Amino acid sequence: MTGVAAVPRSSVFGDAVRAELLKLRSLRSTHAFLAGGVLATALGALIVFVLVRSYDTATATTRAHFEPVDPTVVTIPFVMFFVGAIAAMLITTEYATRSIGPTLIAVPQRHILVGAKATVAALLGLGCGVVFSLLSFVDARALFGDRPAPFNPWPRWSDGIPTVLAAALMVLVTCLVALGLGALVRSTAAALTTLGTLVLVAPIFAHFLPTAWELRFGSILLPNLTPQLAGGNDPYLLPPGGAAAVAAAYVLLSLGGGIVAFIRRDAW
Amino acid sequence: MSRMIEVRDLTKRYGSTLAVDHLSFEVGPGMVTGFLGPNGAGKTTTLQIMVGLTRPTSGAALIGHRRYDQLRHPLHEVGAVLDAGAVHPGRSAVTHLACLARSNGIGTARVSAVLAQVGLQSVADQRVGGFSLGMRQRLGIAAALLGDPGVLLLDEPINGLDAAGIRWIRSALRSLAAEGRTVLISSHVLSELAVTVDHALIIGRGRLIEQLSVAELHRRFGRDVLVRTPRAAELAALLTCLDATVTRTPEGDLVAAGVDAATIGDAAAAAAIPVHGLTPRSATLEDVYVQMTDEAVEYRSAAQREVHR
Repeated sequence: MTGVAAVPRSSVFGDAVRAELLKLRSLRSTHAFLAGGVLATALGALIVFVLVRSYDTATATTRAHFEPVDPTVVTIPFVMFFVGAIAAMLITTEYATRSIGPTLIAVPQRHILVGAKATVAALLGLGCGVVFSLLSFVDARALFGDRPAPFNPWPRWSDGIPTVLAAALMVLVTCLVALGLGALVRSTAAALTTLGTLVLVAPIFAHFLPTAWELRFGSILLPNLTPQLAGGNDPYLLPPGGAAAVAAAYVLLSLGGGIVAFIRRDAW
Repeated sequence: MSRMIEVRDLTKRYGSTLAVDHLSFEVGPGMVTGFLGPNGAGKTTTLQIMVGLTRPTSGAALIGHRRYDQLRHPLHEVGAVLDAGAVHPGRSAVTHLACLARSNGIGTARVSAVLAQVGLQSVADQRVGGFSLGMRQRLGIAAALLGDPGVLLLDEPINGLDAAGIRWIRSALRSLAAEGRTVLISSHVLSELAVTVDHALIIGRGRLIEQLSVAELHRRFGRDVLVRTPRAAELAALLTCLDATVTRTPEGDLVAAGVDAATIGDAAAAAAIPVHGLTPRSATLEDVYVQMTDEAVEYRSAAQREVHR
């Protein structure tokens, strides 16, 4: 009206992504859940430290029976939960506070808005996945020193690259799945409970199944896709390609369903 | 009148409930238009459809001849506050506005400017969770003004405000309309808007009941005169001869319709009837509004139903 805020030529999608990034940074819950990821990584390092001490005091015969110590098996499921929670809350907090209304008034093209949220969730997942899995790997590698395989799963630094990349990819996948869950259920409590069940509870539940079923069921659980994607020595059934296909199916079902629901439903 | 807002045959059905029923109207610029109706009349649903939060069952709501979701960076064309409380309580006022501004390519300087415009600059860095309803309403107006839009849509902006807040919002709306903007505000309490709006759209049960200027609404007021006299029966007979319709109040006073105070005074003087009081009365805008929407009230208490019969 008065020309003080001229209509910009910038991309609607780019502006939506920038706004979502600012929202993400401006919430205390983001920092709290990231602190959870740091704690999980520290816990993984502590476990490696204890195991290394135990290894050092063991006899040669006992040492030969030590299993490979991969800290990402412990830390990454927690990282998946904490970082995935941030991704789910990209959308659930907007419904909880009804601020989805002003958000949609600012960006009424719902496919663009949900695309911007998915982009931010993916960036968050990839960034946090790389940082936390790399930290887990570097901590562990430093603690292993020159201790040999099989106790040390990564005798050379380059041996850990597939695990770090697979873990980072699975945190990214979890973030997209969590965002989709958030869009489907529109409730933080319901989204986080479902996410926690998927990445923390279901693997425990799988242990109570008969071995054949444990392997079948366990092979398709999100946290267990990490070692299968990395192609390492793991007890599960899927080759890296199969694990990638299952991860893609998770994203397709959850995020796809969430996007369809978000676009079709009324905001309030 | 150029049509900034056009609502065409709009219908919204929630299951068996018809919230908006083939509603059509137009709103022009340079004035404040009141969107009035009792609770449940369909005002909020209509506004939600206008900004794309809710999809219509049929019909269309257009702003500047386009559907809202066809607007690129819509905050530059439309500012809307449909729920002042719909803000994340953990964010500061300035961050809340910055998020909205960034999504529409608006710079941070404009955020500071609108905060100053609504008088919130001193609390810009405080979390919105600690804001009063009045402060949230101001923040909502600030968000609506971010893109300096030509159209403003406000749902019940006066709800819950104190006297100072009401004065502020009235003055703000008048000045925004005076700048040539199209301002549409909804309310279920007409008296609050009577001194603010130029034009009124009155709806009930999702249907348009009246679309008229406030001046026209005033012209429709019923007029009568309250007369206090110790010889009520004589004066009543006299006024009836003057084609006035005369009724008695429980206190024994006369209420004369169809005749003005001067005529009553002259007639009483000519007949030597003492008059102790002569009070011209007009129906309030509220009375006219209640009369118009009476049939369209969705929820009514048992006592109200009895009175209505």
